[in-house]
Amino acid sequence: MTRTRTLPLLIAASSAIVLLSGCAAAAPQNTEPVKGGTLVYATGDAEPSCLDPHVGGNFPQAIISTQYLESLVSKNVDGEVIAWLATEWTVADDGLSWDFTLRDDVTFTDGTPFTADAVAANVAHLKDPATASSTGYLALDKVASVESVDEHTARFNLTEPDSALLDSLSQPWLAIESPAALQRPQEVNCESPVGTGPFVVTGWNRQQSVTLERNDDYVSPPADAAHEGVAYLDAIEWRFLPDSASRYAALRAGTVDVIDSVQPDTIIAAEDDDAIEHIDAPRPGASNRIELNSSVAPFDDIAVREAFIRSANVDDAVSSLLFGTADRSYSALSSIEKAGVSEPDLFDYDQKEAARLLDEAGWTEKDDDGYRVKNGKRLEVDFPVSTNQSIPAEVSLFEQLQSTTKEAGFKVNLEPLDLSSWYGVLGENDYNLVSAPYTKVGPDVLRILFHSDSTIPAPSGYFANHAQVKDPALDAVLDRASEITDEDERQELYAEAQKTILDGYFILPLYDQQNHYLLRSDVEGLRTMPTVATPTLFDTWLDR
Amino acid sequence: MAGSLTLDPSQLARAGGQRGRQSRWLRWLLLRLGGVVFVLWAVASVTFFALRLIPGDPAEAILGGPGSQASEEALAQARAHYGLDQPLATQYLVYLGRLAIGDLGSSYALRQSVVSVIGDTLGPTLVLAVLSLAAAVLIALTLAVWSTRGGRGAAALGSTLEIVAAAVPHFWLAISLILVFSTTLGWLPPVSVPGVAGLVLPVLTLAVPLAGFLGQVMREALLDAMESPFVLAARARGEGEGGLFWRHALRHAAIPAVGLVGWAFGSLISGAVVVETIFARQGLGRSLLSAVQSRDVPLVIGVVLVVALGYMLVTTLTDLADRLIDPRLNRRAQQA
Repeated sequence: MTRTRTLPLLIAASSAIVLLSGCAAAAPQNTEPVKGGTLVYATGDAEPSCLDPHVGGNFPQAIISTQYLESLVSKNVDGEVIAWLATEWTVADDGLSWDFTLRDDVTFTDGTPFTADAVAANVAHLKDPATASSTGYLALDKVASVESVDEHTARFNLTEPDSALLDSLSQPWLAIESPAALQRPQEVNCESPVGTGPFVVTGWNRQQSVTLERNDDYVSPPADAAHEGVAYLDAIEWRFLPDSASRYAALRAGTVDVIDSVQPDTIIAAEDDDAIEHIDAPRPGASNRIELNSSVAPFDDIAVREAFIRSANVDDAVSSLLFGTADRSYSALSSIEKAGVSEPDLFDYDQKEAARLLDEAGWTEKDDDGYRVKNGKRLEVDFPVSTNQSIPAEVSLFEQLQSTTKEAGFKVNLEPLDLSSWYGVLGENDYNLVSAPYTKVGPDVLRILFHSDSTIPAPSGYFANHAQVKDPALDAVLDRASEITDEDERQELYAEAQKTILDGYFILPLYDQQNHYLLRSDVEGLRTMPTVATPTLFDTWLDR
Repeated sequence: MAGSLTLDPSQLARAGGQRGRQSRWLRWLLLRLGGVVFVLWAVASVTFFALRLIPGDPAEAILGGPGSQASEEALAQARAHYGLDQPLATQYLVYLGRLAIGDLGSSYALRQSVVSVIGDTLGPTLVLAVLSLAAAVLIALTLAVWSTRGGRGAAALGSTLEIVAAAVPHFWLAISLILVFSTTLGWLPPVSVPGVAGLVLPVLTLAVPLAGFLGQVMREALLDAMESPFVLAARARGEGEGGLFWRHALRHAAIPAVGLVGWAFGSLISGAVVVETIFARQGLGRSLLSAVQSRDVPLVIGVVLVVALGYMLVTTLTDLADRLIDPRLNRRAQQA
């Protein structure tokens, strides 16, 4: 390019920039929420098979039903239980019955009034085997029945005290639906569940989208909502876009306004784009961690467990593969759980210490490949990986850990498996390492993951205690914590339990369960619920 | 290509006049039908048993997939409801009996009848497949004609383009097309939207690799034909180069291409699994993918049967088309 041609080009370019910035300045900059408009939400999670989260009960159902169903209670960002459909609650001295005072001004969107009988019908629906609820059913384990004390007071009768009851009831899988609507056949209720929420399900075009329209009679936002009254948006188009790359392309093109299930590389790519904002909302419950199966050799020896953990260079792997989109965790619990205890010192990367521990444990020989050997047996561990649950970056992370633990003499066999085969391997106790996410509100998740009762498989073969911790003292602490309602004492017990788990080297914490959203910057007022980090579009408005 | 499918009226008259021909056609048709029924039975049986051999309880698939923490009561209820508590042989016979009357059962995961799921998704996939096939033939023909008539440079470039196009995987092409035409140029939506604009990228993604294959075959056949004795004879009769090419050689080139259409249909359906997922289009391929992932046995078998049926239909039609384009096949049949 010659000099004479450059100048006009520069002038053209700079005038274009002036024009563009002029446009940007003229763009609407409202501070008052604007009413109206349709927001397009594109989810990368699976399309639910049923829009009623009582049936089954998974995360894809939770994110969409947050828009049209509501629970008895919620939580604020400080982790405190707050009023929602119930305004007050009291627990009897024996801990065996809870009275919930309900709002008296709420009506389901089919016109049915919200009463104590409705709450009783919902609990009965969740506990009915024909509903096939798994998540909600488990959460109501200790609830025997619900009775109406009066029209707006519901009494939960328990078989044993349950300090996690409020946490359980705050989850979207235990939302309250119209009892009249629940009477319909399940296929019908799955397509058009009826709740009290700010939006109403009006259509479901399978493999494409669910249409949600504003509930104009809405009165019952949770206590921490940003505004009162009805939602700002006219409607939501809830699209199913399974492919990560095209989902992000659709967001950049403005075809959609919000996307979820955002991968680390996409988060980094979006950082430079002023038209796109990022929400990082880790899920509650357990942190993402590698569990060491303590029921079989070689991890039945605590020294070998510690050696493995010392020789795994997690910090470098997390920063290089997740590009700083996730913080390293040193806790059994998610960072949003107030009861979480971190023990960074236990997880220092130290190959020398790992070697010393293995020598002491009798793994003194080495074979030609550099793997440790004891009594003619190689130090070999199987690590089945669920490709449905671990994102590609996480699988790469496991590969890096495989190579750093090799330095200490571990042979880690990574086996990528589909979900069914993965559960099959776990059910047969044919694994040494495993990584499985677990979402639940509150520290009671520790009881599910580390109580010896959880090593007994459910009828389906499922069990949650993959580290197979069987410690009567720990069981007693977890049982006690789940029964008492004194908050301080409860926290102390959970801290004690976590110390036992971390000091026993049963788990290698990685990071919080990741949950990222990207949205166009003219989408205002979107927040995630402090319960299970589902997005709520009640306060959301479009600045355009 | 539609032009090459026209029937020679004199041939038809001859065919209608002969009784032996008729019975031969009938026998051919009956054999075909028998074959279709046999293949459908085999496909249904193999899929049925293959899906049962995979570890995992089908009742779990019904209750929200593997690892669901469903209670024993819920599992028992689901088993009884879907007849999974019966012996496998009984389940198989009941299944075949229902299949015989066209009842494909109901999907575990979608809680809808398989027939209605297929009814909803078959249309969009057929639209995608037919448009892609048409686009592929158009691209292939253009490339083949241009590269055989455009001189040495065109021939080299044409064959390179065909090889590259044929080798490109669908998922890579789809993402590249999105990057170029949607993200960079902003001409087309990156995911399916109602209307023609949403169809362009999915159709191109399926059509380009197919056009690569078809183009290679067509170019070979064209070159072959232009050098064959019948073209020499026509040239000797004083037929012009243009007429030679368009009237004689092109018809010759259509034969292998039509033969490939059956195969192309299969490749389009497998490509649809990828394309429908990336562009978030409604369709049979996407249903099949999610059904396999969630072990939704009735839906997997239903989709596989429909695809098998479609495949056989297309191969039968291409056989017929071959006979119409290439009179030699009919004459051979008569001599037999």
